[in-house]
Amino acid sequence: MSAQHGKEHGHHDSGSATQQEKRATPEQTQALEERVKALESLLVAKGMVSTEALDTIANIYEHDLGPMYGAKVVARAWVDPSFKARLLANTTAAIAELGFGGLQGEHLVVVENTSAVHNVVTCTLCSCYPWPVLGLPPVWYKSAPYRSRVVIDPRGVLQEFGLTLTNSTEVRVWDSSAEIRYMVLPERPTGTERMSEEELAALVTRDAMIGVTRVSVGG
Amino acid sequence: MPQSANQRIANMDGATALPRKSGELVFHDQWERRIFALAVALCERGLYTWDEFRNHLIAEIAAAEQKHETDPGHTTEPDYYESWLAAFEKLLAEKGIKI
Repeated sequence: MSAQHGKEHGHHDSGSATQQEKRATPEQTQALEERVKALESLLVAKGMVSTEALDTIANIYEHDLGPMYGAKVVARAWVDPSFKARLLANTTAAIAELGFGGLQGEHLVVVENTSAVHNVVTCTLCSCYPWPVLGLPPVWYKSAPYRSRVVIDPRGVLQEFGLTLTNSTEVRVWDSSAEIRYMVLPERPTGTERMSEEELAALVTRDAMIGVTRVSVGG
Repeated sequence: MPQSANQRIANMDGATALPRKSGELVFHDQWERRIFALAVALCERGLYTWDEFRNHLIAEIAAAEQKHETDPGHTTEPDYYESWLAAFEKLLAEKGIKI
């Protein structure tokens, strides 16, 4: 979806479409690889930086802005019914129990997916998003086509994400605002009964917590 | 060593916004990932503030765009991490680090 709507995104999006496409020739890339490698070797030799620190930093920025913390909330709700009840009743307070902060001034509401009801989150006005729990919003979430179409034709949009819902499943679309932000509590997949809370958290994807996909075992 | 992302870096906006796709950072090649991490690492170490780096980055991006506009036949479209690399090299020179 992001590719086909790439040119329509607004000023909230980070990075231009051209930045997302590689355009250096193999020779240019090779020259740049060597130039940066030389720079890195020199700074490592000076003791200013370590290769391990660089690996860690790249890893943090590439992965830890993702849905780690939201995924932990979901996994806890799956294994602890009383936590789940508190989470659905007062999300902010329940998340604070887990020691996660960053929600001050933002009212977060968790909505639960069941076999009968599928929830999906959007923001029709701009791109309100529960970033403290989900990390940075994906580009498509901020795109005008997603924001407008998911309200009019949620089943069609979900189909494009590869999620087919039966006619008997009720679809609820939640429109986030600056005051209230929503996060989906996905259904726990079958076959995960023996998994630990940590293993369960690793299954939960950002897209599942926006409600455009389900959580599945093995990808 | 940092334990989490610095939101000032992660959430830069305008021309300096990190290239992303579906929320994830886009690195086409290993050198882009390394130069990104180098600039963050030396800032974490206190060699410069992030604003100092960002100011250099803004200047390099603007210069690359201008160069492209004045001579589009000879230069390819400005690349974000090439500007980042140039900004990093200039900032090191400014801090007296010989490279």
